[in-house]
Amino acid sequence: MNPLKTIETLVDDPAALLAAERPAGLGRTGLLGYAAGTLGFFLFLRFFSAVPPGAISFLVVLGFVLAFNLFFAGLIHLFLDLTGARGSSARLFLAFGCSDLLLALLVPLAFFAKLGYINGFLALCLCFLAVIYARVRLVRRLYSVSANKALLAVWLPYAGLSAVLFTAFAYSIAWLVWLVL
Amino acid sequence: MEEQNNSGSVNSGVPPAPSSPPAPPALPAARGTALWLKAVAVLYALSLVAAFVVINKADAARKTRPKDMALSKIAGLKHSKKDAVAVIPLYGVITQGSSSRSWDRGSQQIAKRIKTLSGKKEVKAIVLDINSPGGSVGAVQEIYSAVLRAKAETKKPFVARFGDVSASGGYYVASACDVIVAQPGTITGSIGVIFSVSNFEGLMKKVGMRSEVVKSGKFKDMGSMSREMTPDERKLLQAMIDDSYDQFVTAVAQGRKMDVEKVKLLADGRIYTGRQGKEAGLVDKLGDLQDALDEAGELAKIGKNPRVLSDSDPFENLLSLMDTKLSLFGASSLAEAAGAAPSLEYRWYGR
Repeated sequence: MNPLKTIETLVDDPAALLAAERPAGLGRTGLLGYAAGTLGFFLFLRFFSAVPPGAISFLVVLGFVLAFNLFFAGLIHLFLDLTGARGSSARLFLAFGCSDLLLALLVPLAFFAKLGYINGFLALCLCFLAVIYARVRLVRRLYSVSANKALLAVWLPYAGLSAVLFTAFAYSIAWLVWLVL
Repeated sequence: MEEQNNSGSVNSGVPPAPSSPPAPPALPAARGTALWLKAVAVLYALSLVAAFVVINKADAARKTRPKDMALSKIAGLKHSKKDAVAVIPLYGVITQGSSSRSWDRGSQQIAKRIKTLSGKKEVKAIVLDINSPGGSVGAVQEIYSAVLRAKAETKKPFVARFGDVSASGGYYVASACDVIVAQPGTITGSIGVIFSVSNFEGLMKKVGMRSEVVKSGKFKDMGSMSREMTPDERKLLQAMIDDSYDQFVTAVAQGRKMDVEKVKLLADGRIYTGRQGKEAGLVDKLGDLQDALDEAGELAKIGKNPRVLSDSDPFENLLSLMDTKLSLFGASSLAEAAGAAPSLEYRWYGR
């Protein structure tokens, strides 16, 4: 199935995700979404010289994006499964790929940011918020849960990661103070 | 799916009940989605192409950007931009490291650093930043011979820079360098050897402690803290000290290209200020670290104010800091100091 057709189905009839059979072309579209989204993100970073040029550099970023999303999809599925919601983790991972297509918006936004019409960081934040919003909508459909629960499920891994990073940061500061004193 | 349901009901030929509301027009909405999705895809493709073009042009422009043609750089055109002067710090008492850990600051590690840095292609000269009252004879000579070997192998100039104190063993190491730069108020000199041993005999008697020694020869427990030194031992130790002193004087005479007798006149253990040292010929120039770097740059023919290659490795510094902190807040250093055996030292004990 044409990836555009699959996205069209997801937009017009999100309930198709719940069907017994996986929507046709979801796998291909999901992976294409990851690739296109990461390319948008990568080009955005290249505009600001934040990543080195080259295919290897892009593949490294893509690898990180896929690994993170696989981990996050697994965590979200685990949380939802433990709280009684039923759904498919594979579909969730692929649906997240479709939502990553929104990161393609970063390419034109990078132009605007470079021209000074918009702050680059703000553009990045807006795009990520749009992705999170799309993911909440998808989780809500995929697991037939309330919007609040879907929001909690999507934010949970980010919150957990932030908590771990903050703890590591606080611990390292305390450790450095101990080293210096 | 809605679309199929609606079209299905239309095609079935069954007319809808007059009372039921008309089905929502789903088809135009679906077409609308397809249309804007295609538009977004086309725009995405266009923006991708534009982004690639812009990034490639920016990269190409960055590569072909003309170099800064400042006049100060024209003078050094024949030299590589990477040419640098390495600075090796030599702080504190010079001792053999107690381990082979790379972050240890023992004489082995310093000698290794001298060898490594002098072997680097971009390093054209080396500055030894010395702030040390000296240390044990073996450790000082290890660094001294490392400097001599590096000079012989690489022909690179060495400059010694004196900070607060560079006396005795600190000066021994510096004498191997081509030029010595000191602050006017630096404490230097103290050319000589010392062997000191404490005598706890009285204290041990007071607390009722006695040391029993079984030895193979009469000098085997020479330097023991539990008894008085015998005249024979004193004579033997004096001979050792005289020999080490002679090595020190020879090293200074060779390094400073001075007459041995003249060095002996200066080498009665006295200390000098940097200015007195310059008058006596023990120091070449008065100045600070920047002067030492300029001197090294001039000797290496890379000009004044050369690029400085620091010897410090942040990772090793962190490991060193951790090592110090993890050794029971310095308790192990205290134990080492308490258990230190008397030894011959090129060291000034004035601080």
